[in-house]
Amino acid sequence: MVNTLEEAKEIFRYRELLRNLVLRDVKIRYKRSALGFLWVMLDPLLMLLVFYVIFAGLFGSVGKYSAYLMSGIIMWQFFSQGTKVASLAFLQNRNLINKVYLPKAIFPLSVVASSLVHFIFSLVPLFIILLSSGTKFGINLALLPFVVGIVFVFSLGMALTVSTLAVFFHDVVYIYDVVLLGWMYFSAIFYPVSILPQKLQVLMSLNPLYHFISLFRASLYDPTLLTAEHVLSGSAFALLSFLIGWGIYYGNRDKIIFYL
Amino acid sequence: MIALQGVSVKYRLVEERRRSFQAHVINYVKGKRVVKHILWALRDITLEVGQGESLGIIGPNGAGKSTLLKVISGVMNPSEGMANVRGKTAPLIELGAGFDDELTGRENIFLNASILGFSRREIEERFDRIVDFSELKEFIDTPLKHYSTGMVARLGFSIGTEANPDILIVDEVLAVGDAHFQKKSRDKILTFKDKGVAILFVSHNMEEVRNLCNQVLWLDHGRVRMLGEPEEVIAEYEKEVAVGGSVRTL
Repeated sequence: MVNTLEEAKEIFRYRELLRNLVLRDVKIRYKRSALGFLWVMLDPLLMLLVFYVIFAGLFGSVGKYSAYLMSGIIMWQFFSQGTKVASLAFLQNRNLINKVYLPKAIFPLSVVASSLVHFIFSLVPLFIILLSSGTKFGINLALLPFVVGIVFVFSLGMALTVSTLAVFFHDVVYIYDVVLLGWMYFSAIFYPVSILPQKLQVLMSLNPLYHFISLFRASLYDPTLLTAEHVLSGSAFALLSFLIGWGIYYGNRDKIIFYL
Repeated sequence: MIALQGVSVKYRLVEERRRSFQAHVINYVKGKRVVKHILWALRDITLEVGQGESLGIIGPNGAGKSTLLKVISGVMNPSEGMANVRGKTAPLIELGAGFDDELTGRENIFLNASILGFSRREIEERFDRIVDFSELKEFIDTPLKHYSTGMVARLGFSIGTEANPDILIVDEVLAVGDAHFQKKSRDKILTFKDKGVAILFVSHNMEEVRNLCNQVLWLDHGRVRMLGEPEEVIAEYEKEVAVGGSVRTL
């Protein structure tokens, strides 16, 4: 327990590195393209367009369907992009980890933090869509930091888990890709949960992302989604994910170097 | 500053093929146990390096030199024994391991100095001195991908030396840049020595080891082959190299 705190303190001591790693991610990703950082905002909009064209006919009856889609898309991307890139966090930084002492968790942490930055930027097109569809924001908007916070904690736990496991079994990277694909289709991003058979709806309550996306929608435009179940399950999943991820990382952190 | 007592490091070498689920599953089904070859990269190393002392580490490739540096810099924990290292370690190992080609020299200084554990204020304080020493002022806002190898190495060296370390780890880097910069970096390292910094120096260049070190460790297959006065150890080492011919000298 004491040692766990020491490790956390070390990460805090290296916060300037965390900042620089995030800055680098953000700078590099858009340095070479003509539209630069605008892509962060264009990307979800284009995805929205694709989903809308395909599914509006089927699910257009869902209230504020474009807002429904957009909120699902950017919340999903926040989680999936962050953890997907993070799965390679230790492997890609093996040069550095081999040469210099560092609290290694800083690498998956920085990836999830970069993903958070991108998420915040993609809130801009989301709010444009919300406003243009006549949304009046309510007091629930105050919930937004809480929702983002639990998704961040959940993603960090997942990132620590997959990045550590990937050091020992490279296959984890590929397996996780496939898992993400299935997970996306099961996260009620572009369809309403009500179309699912009863059995799957029960299963849905075990999907953390479903709770996160619902809470996100609740804070933005649909107060009916603000339920105790979403709040409690969402928080519990976040905490559980973090504890598991930290446990796996912390228990193996001294072994990682031997497998890089 | 550095006290190693009976330090050993053990690698479990697992065949590359087995590092996948598939291979694990197949082997499990076949009832094969995973064969782990154990390799002792370091065996029973005991040594001490005090303030202002410099230890040269020599030996053929694969003798355990890098592993020893990893233990001392805290990257790796010993499997057995005790490693007691007090003070701030700065590695000049493979300069610029943390550099990013797409970033400018300026951005890389901030990135790399923070890898060494500096806060933003500490980096800002040192920034001008780093740039001055590297002699790269006019290129500082150019992306690193346009730098020559020598320029990158100069920048890396300048950051490492501004770290004000208690222990400086120098791994075959004095061959950095042109003759002018090589002399400059050698002088810089000597001033460190005078300031009481402990220096670990890995090199295949015996001339340099002789000039810089007051103690030399000869590693062979992870064990201490000889530890003592530079003249003595180097003489023995060169004798063996001349006979064996398998060891690289420069």
